Amino acid sequence: MTFQIVINLIIAIGWMFFTESYTLPGFIMGYILGILSLLLLSRFISDTFYLKRLFKVATLIGMFFRALITSNIDMIKLIYMKKPEFEPGIFALPTTLKSDLEIVMLVHLISLTPRTLSVAVARDHSHLYIHAMDIDSIGETIDTIKSSFEQAIMEVTR
Amino acid sequence: MFQFIQYIALITMSISLIICFIRTLIGPSIPDRVLALDAFGINLIGFTGVIMILQDTIAYSDVILVLSILSFVSTVAVSKFIERGTIFERN
Amino acid sequence: MSVTEVIVSIFLLIGAFFSLLGALGLIRLPDVYNRAHAAGKSSTFGVIFLILATFLFFLFTGEFNAKLLLAILFVFLTAPLSSLMVSRSAHRTDVPLYDKSIRDDLQETHKKKEKKQQKET
Repeated sequence: MTFQIVINLIIAIGWMFFTESYTLPGFIMGYILGILSLLLLSRFISDTFYLKRLFKVATLIGMFFRALITSNIDMIKLIYMKKPEFEPGIFALPTTLKSDLEIVMLVHLISLTPRTLSVAVARDHSHLYIHAMDIDSIGETIDTIKSSFEQAIMEVTR
Repeated sequence: MFQFIQYIALITMSISLIICFIRTLIGPSIPDRVLALDAFGINLIGFTGVIMILQDTIAYSDVILVLSILSFVSTVAVSKFIERGTIFERN
Repeated sequence: MSVTEVIVSIFLLIGAFFSLLGALGLIRLPDVYNRAHAAGKSSTFGVIFLILATFLFFLFTGEFNAKLLLAILFVFLTAPLSSLMVSRSAHRTDVPLYDKSIRDDLQETHKKKEKKQQKET
């Protein structure tokens, strides 16, 4: 990924030398040309094209904001209820993510989804401990965490 | 009208600051108080933002940045302290 | 009122509403862990909207202030982690859960760890 960005920058600076216009529009023009040429030559480079990975990062950020908005709409219902009638609890969630960055991203994403809050991480990174209001309806939440969140994080970091 | 809406926002923020402060006073356990102080700091950031619009000055933007950093660092330090009794672990 | 003032005031009202919601949750919900839900989600959301309103106001008057965007990023990144730290320290110092709580998986692992330590000593 770094290799491709460096090559792209070199192409952009080369384009600036080539046209002898040392301005920002010239640089942007060269950068776009670099992206096009990398796209054409992408089958000769062993790594995947880096804009594809950038797109996955963008979908992950969109997921963060979607979780934030839905959880706040849920919070309105919860707080203006007359009596808090729910049964909270802490449960353990096994996870397959390994490195520190992935774990932090998962913890962050879980804390933002409605009615879940991560409380602790096991020392060997094999489990997350999650506090949930309404522990009865938690099966769907586990499924979404397992299927979509871990998948999205893995696609970005690996 | 615009000024009126700004005053409404300012009053709402003050009410939420007062509520956070009440929770700091009555909280039964120490983590309750730490959590309320954290929420107090975050609400204070928004309060400063509203005051920036009201006075039409850009001078408080540094205040917002420093408050957001200090609030997080102090919360982490205090919660580590009540968890183990130390802030930095020397192994 | 001009269009920019309408946009800024909508953002201000949304932000103030969600900040108040977070504070109300802080005083209404029953125990530390449930309060951490309110503090970690609603307060963050409200403050993001308030600072965004400030940023838009100064952008419309012709000043681009990147420090405010930096503050938004910082608040968004750190608020859930600070609620994690507080709730973890609450659990380590044996703050009881709400009466209606059903399950506590973390308690069992703590007990196992304590037994191990007693055996070692």
